[in-house]
Amino acid sequence: MNDDYLWDGSGEPDPEIQKLEKTLAKFGHQGQAPEFPEMVVTRRPRILQWGIGLRWPQVFAAAAALILLIVAVEILRWARHPAANSGSGWEVERVAGTPRVESNATGKTGGNGKLGIGQTLVTDSHSQANITVAEIGTVNVEPNTRLRLVDGGAGHNRLALERGTIHAFIWAAPGQFAVDTPSAIAVDLGCRYTLQVDDSGAGTLRTTLGWVGFKLNNREAFIPAGAVCATRPKIGPGTPYFDDAPKSFCEALSKFDFSASTPEERSAELDKILAEARPRDALTVWHLLARVEDAQRGRVYDRLASLVPPPAGVTREGILSLNQKMLDAWWNQLDLGDVFLWRTWERSWSQEKRAGS
Amino acid sequence: MDCRLVTAATASEPAGDSALVHAARQGDRAAFGNLYARHARMVHGILLAKVPAEDVDDLVQDVFLKAMPRLSDLRDVSRFGPWLAAITRNRANDYHRQNRAVAAVTESLSEDDSEVPAASTASDTEAAMILSHVRSLSETYRETLILRLVEGMTGPEIAARTGLTPGSVRVNLHRGMQQLREKLSQSASGAKGQSGFDAEKNAAAQKQSNLRKRNEP
Repeated sequence: MNDDYLWDGSGEPDPEIQKLEKTLAKFGHQGQAPEFPEMVVTRRPRILQWGIGLRWPQVFAAAAALILLIVAVEILRWARHPAANSGSGWEVERVAGTPRVESNATGKTGGNGKLGIGQTLVTDSHSQANITVAEIGTVNVEPNTRLRLVDGGAGHNRLALERGTIHAFIWAAPGQFAVDTPSAIAVDLGCRYTLQVDDSGAGTLRTTLGWVGFKLNNREAFIPAGAVCATRPKIGPGTPYFDDAPKSFCEALSKFDFSASTPEERSAELDKILAEARPRDALTVWHLLARVEDAQRGRVYDRLASLVPPPAGVTREGILSLNQKMLDAWWNQLDLGDVFLWRTWERSWSQEKRAGS
Repeated sequence: MDCRLVTAATASEPAGDSALVHAARQGDRAAFGNLYARHARMVHGILLAKVPAEDVDDLVQDVFLKAMPRLSDLRDVSRFGPWLAAITRNRANDYHRQNRAVAAVTESLSEDDSEVPAASTASDTEAAMILSHVRSLSETYRETLILRLVEGMTGPEIAARTGLTPGSVRVNLHRGMQQLREKLSQSASGAKGQSGFDAEKNAAAQKQSNLRKRNEP
């Protein structure tokens, strides 16, 4: 059936949707507008009020002088911080110590600072700051952190965490906020999370609400609430796991992802992981499908099928050949977030990169 | 499908919002009232997707009262709708922070039957059941679906008010509706098998009610 009726009420009415509309209408907005209080008016600058009493030549002269002054100030600002002029900045509030945007101390006298596109916020061992992300969320910046604003356009808000720790809480629609790290990019899919990067560029992402997509080249990881994922330069995101998983499970996973150097070693670690996986660890086992050698994939399939049976339409042959649609359908069966959101964002982002490159 | 259409924010705005925002910034209360009339359904729908129905009306007013003094902070007046939507989502998050652990609430929103009025009719119960199924969908789908099915907004209207692209709204509606249909059909087949259990539950509720009446002075 086509969706025209669902979309804009046109086309042939869908009786099921009509029934839902009728049944649910009682929950809709019925309220009257409240009595709004007197509004505080933002007064015009006094200089404009003076203009009223002046003659036209004087008005033109004053306007020209004002324009020259503004141009001079902007040139000076641009000369000092060229990148800051490429877009509107995000507000930075000092929490402790002396966070710095470029060479300027933030909020030293009580006011807030701005982080412009291309500018870097640095906190030392005693400093902390909060950033308001273009009306869609907040980022708390811990001590010893270096963070750059890459883009702040509508729907495309992007930071680069060079080192340190941030806590992000984003309430925008999924896919509008991303953080680059030296070893992967974290994409908000509607969530709250903590991201840490050390001096070597290695990092950890821990999600506390919603879920996050983590990606380097073709290696991707989905990290739902309660899960953690490590990442390493030149390798990318490891395999995510729930933070209540047994220690031996986590250690085997870390070796499998980052340190096992021969196929035999990896196979031995994989055995431990599959043997110890709990039903909840289907999260980890699903990710392993695309990370193991072809010869090992059958074992991973069998273990995942024993934890969460594949949905209708997903076949062993399809999974062994890494059929993306089947992998996605099985992921959705885990009920940890709809992978469609990620695919949509990821495609859009890749296109944007190609267009810009 | 052009993927950029699905995620990039649209530049379109409901005609006249900018003029109303300018007027409201100058202290025109009628203009702010007009903004309320235009956007109250969106605010109501976003809240209904996240907080219990009995608190939604109060929170709608709260969101507008919060937005009013902050109008001067709005950098791009043509994006009043998306700005207000972000304030609304933030207010819903604050609500959960103030009341109880977010995870527990999300779970209870999808599972409980608290929207059923005390003196409920069969149609009240059915409506509450459907609403709880909508709320058990992922956040993206439930918000768009509530704006469409509960608040009666069309897809183009949802896109214009929230700042999502028409493509994104259309996809959310389609997939959200698909998932809702699955949940409703599962629930219907479950209900058939449960009819005996329901009868038992009703009898127990009746017994409890009689007991309460007997204990009343």
